[in-house]
Amino acid sequence: MNFRQRKRIRTSIRVLQAIILGITIILLGRLYKLQILDYETYNPLSKENSLRQEYVQPARGLIFDANDNLLVDNEPIYTITIVPSNYNQEKNKLLARLLSITENDLSERITEAQRFSWHRPSKLMAEVDFEIFSNIQEHIYELPGINHQIESKRHYPQELRASHVLGYLREISENEFQQSDQYLLGDKVGKTGMEWFYESYLRGTLGISYVKVNALGQDLGNYEEGVQNQAPRAGSDIYTTLNPDLQLLAEDLMEGKRGGVVALNPKTGAVKAMVSSPFYDLARLAGKMDRDYWVEINADTTTPLYNRSISALQPPGSTFKPLMALIGLQLGVITPDTKVFCDGAYYKGRAYKCTGQHGNQDMLHAIQNSCNTYFFSLMNKIALERGLNAWSDLVKTTGLGVKNNIDIPNENRGIIPDSAYFDKLFGVRKWGIGDIINLGVGQGVVSVSPLQLAVYGSSIANGGYRIQPHLVRGIRRENQSIPTHPAKDRINWLDSTGLGIVREGMRRVVTDGSARWYANIKAAEVAGKTGTSQNPHGQDHSWFMGFAPYKNPEIIVVAFIENGGYGSVIAAPIAALMMEKYFTGKIQRQWVYERVKNFVPKPYEPDEDE
Amino acid sequence: MNWYKNFDWITAFIWLALSSIGLVAIYSATQGPVSQFLPEYIQNNFYKQLVWITISIIIVISLQFTAPRTFSQISYFFYGFFLLITIYTLFFGVEINGAKSWIDVFGFRYQVSETMKVGTILAVANYLSNRRNIQSERLDSALFAALLIIVPGVLVLMQNDTGTALVLFSLIPFMLFWSGLPYGISLFIISPAIIGYFTILDLMWGTIAAIVISIVIFFVQKRPWLTVVSVVTNVVIIGGINFAVNSLLQPHQKARIVAFANPSFDPQGVGWNVIQAKTAIGSGGLTGKGFLEGTQTQLKFLPEQWTDFIFCVIGEEFGFLGAGLVIVLFMILLLNLISGAGSHKNPFAQSVLVGIVSIYLIHLLINTGSAMGLLPVIGLPLPFVSYGGSAFLSNSLMIGIALNLLMYKRESTIFT
Repeated sequence: MNFRQRKRIRTSIRVLQAIILGITIILLGRLYKLQILDYETYNPLSKENSLRQEYVQPARGLIFDANDNLLVDNEPIYTITIVPSNYNQEKNKLLARLLSITENDLSERITEAQRFSWHRPSKLMAEVDFEIFSNIQEHIYELPGINHQIESKRHYPQELRASHVLGYLREISENEFQQSDQYLLGDKVGKTGMEWFYESYLRGTLGISYVKVNALGQDLGNYEEGVQNQAPRAGSDIYTTLNPDLQLLAEDLMEGKRGGVVALNPKTGAVKAMVSSPFYDLARLAGKMDRDYWVEINADTTTPLYNRSISALQPPGSTFKPLMALIGLQLGVITPDTKVFCDGAYYKGRAYKCTGQHGNQDMLHAIQNSCNTYFFSLMNKIALERGLNAWSDLVKTTGLGVKNNIDIPNENRGIIPDSAYFDKLFGVRKWGIGDIINLGVGQGVVSVSPLQLAVYGSSIANGGYRIQPHLVRGIRRENQSIPTHPAKDRINWLDSTGLGIVREGMRRVVTDGSARWYANIKAAEVAGKTGTSQNPHGQDHSWFMGFAPYKNPEIIVVAFIENGGYGSVIAAPIAALMMEKYFTGKIQRQWVYERVKNFVPKPYEPDEDE
Repeated sequence: MNWYKNFDWITAFIWLALSSIGLVAIYSATQGPVSQFLPEYIQNNFYKQLVWITISIIIVISLQFTAPRTFSQISYFFYGFFLLITIYTLFFGVEINGAKSWIDVFGFRYQVSETMKVGTILAVANYLSNRRNIQSERLDSALFAALLIIVPGVLVLMQNDTGTALVLFSLIPFMLFWSGLPYGISLFIISPAIIGYFTILDLMWGTIAAIVISIVIFFVQKRPWLTVVSVVTNVVIIGGINFAVNSLLQPHQKARIVAFANPSFDPQGVGWNVIQAKTAIGSGGLTGKGFLEGTQTQLKFLPEQWTDFIFCVIGEEFGFLGAGLVIVLFMILLLNLISGAGSHKNPFAQSVLVGIVSIYLIHLLINTGSAMGLLPVIGLPLPFVSYGGSAFLSNSLMIGIALNLLMYKRESTIFT
């Protein structure tokens, strides 16, 4: 070996050593970067990788009636699931028989599950009957890969419907889903009624359980024996003010009619009953929804989904008159003794008809007899001496023409016009006294909902307080009851003299006036006012607003029946029957009940719009 | 002379140490909690490996009683015999994981290409050393030597065993370089791999690598024609790779390349293995999660974790200390063998040792590089550590030959 060759070998050795060192140092450096420098990146990654966060649905809060009995609770629904990789297709025959479906249907479902994942559970059949569920459980040892999932749906243990008040649940919308981290796609949320309003209380908090999984997504049980799991927190329970007997009776009485009934405590605003008719069956919208039924109630021309008790827009008719009297006193255009002569009509440019010839009427008698002439004349004075807006402002302080913020959605503010409203409606200077005088008897461009009448009536009954109507009296979160404190404000301008006269007048309506046939019950002294709102689309709408006992009112009932005719004919007996039930616990005048049940509103045009 | 003074204890010790580490890792990867997701024949890999290790130890010990001359004497026969078997395998072999590189021997599956590596080293070393001078200075000899490697390399490539073919091809620069191939040409031979690698990572890096290599070649060799060829080749490589990646390759092939350069590109698809492998190693930290405690390993997030991704198992469960130890052991082993080659008088032994070193080095680089996301995933076992009987046997065969050559170092002559 010559020198050159030896030198060549020495150099080659150096080069190869350098290559070996270089490569191993690069590898060590890479290892150092991954394991030491990037440890904080990869360690959480490996944990997330092998852990699956599973959400556990909280139990939705319950809803109770005024007697602490359940109105709404949750009922388990059973869903059969399948893990295709564990399932044995030879069991198709048995499984199909247990599920009471055909084998073809079953294999289709299994194929669909396989398409989702071979190793993760899919729903095989949702919401099966308890009987099917228990049959499967009996054979579960023969059915590897078959499991179940228990979810829940709303259940309504009582006979009453209260559909508009309680409300239904539907799948969460994309928008709602993105606004909250408490929902998973496909979760149900309250869409109407109290279920909507108290959603945040009823919902509860999602639980999280950490489950170990492998690369195939197979479930390997709790991570660290579940110590890191967060149990779901059940939703709060809602205690409502609903009186189930009254509610049930009101629904019974309103069956087959269109309209709304609101009964509340005039001192507190607690709603005892609230019915909008036609109503619907919440149970059929719970869980796996009855699609045909949903389509049916949506397409129904009688609009069962519409809550007439808080959304209806109808002129209050004569039920408005007590308020007119009070406003007249407050605006100083009349005194209780001011008399108006009624010869059957009020003349101002044209004749505004009265229901009779009442002769000289003071305030008390005008209310008792529901004398239109008196109130046309009063409205005329108000408009001329104080202006429409002074009237409108006072009306709105009693809860008409404004929202009363009851704790269910879709409340309508109604219409109490002022000059700006008329300007908009008819055009500036295109309206006049003729459009205003009608307002004095609750007709024309004025509309209210049954709830609004109940709120305003309460102020008369309770001596001048504006109550906050509400359906919920308390919320119980984790064994801690939080009562709600609805506000109650004095309406300053209502004075006791005026209120005394008005109440006296309303008492006389029942004893001697239009409501004397049906509303003068033995159980309590009722005071009230009937109303008939003129309806260009058919028979007039029937109103009654009454409270009892007259001296110390405990309940106020407002009944509104579309196309019912005179208020005294159908609205008054309905309200009176409810009061009878309220005070005695039963219906004492069976013949009135029969009459109401057999009453058919007529005639109405089928294509009339609400 | 006492044999134990001449025996290369370091090599033998590291060989056994790596095999033991491998056994621990294979146990974890096949017998640990993960076994519930593995078919029984894979769970049994641990025991099969034990058998292969026992057989290999016996063979390595037996080899020490052979005269070093024997290896050069049988080299062509050995080469030719396994070349024939390789051709046989190409037609009648058993296909496993897409590669038709296995044959059935008495019920055992044997990967012929692993042993083909040993035969190739012996034959090339013999060819390069059986004339008076070191041969690769003469380009015609160098080309013939290269042909000795290319023939089995292409056959293995045709078996669809890209990894092993790559290892064979990488013998060319190492062995020819050792036997006197001019530096510049040696660099020129490996330059496509370096430039290609950087070009896939980033076009700019590829261009820089090409320029640097061309300049180095020019200064080392001072032969204008070589520099020109080098520059032209580099341009062709960069352009070709760009063209291939962007328009020639099938979507799935392109995806594999993109996934290596940027695994988050397709985390559920091709990038999955890379991400899971890096996550396994990265989450091991300094000391690892502990034996049988690696979540990536035990929950089967790693593919082929007893062979190609065994390094991830070690990295995850034994951390930087464990995985680093493996690399350091390899480093000592390779440096030890290469210095043995440097001090050996016999050219055949030198060449064989360099060939062995280059094979181990390429296996180490590709296996751990794939696992750590440095290289595209090319399925190659980590010598002595990965499960695999034929690979373990062949790699141990090379250890046995190396031990023999080094033990008889003083008795051998510069002539063969």
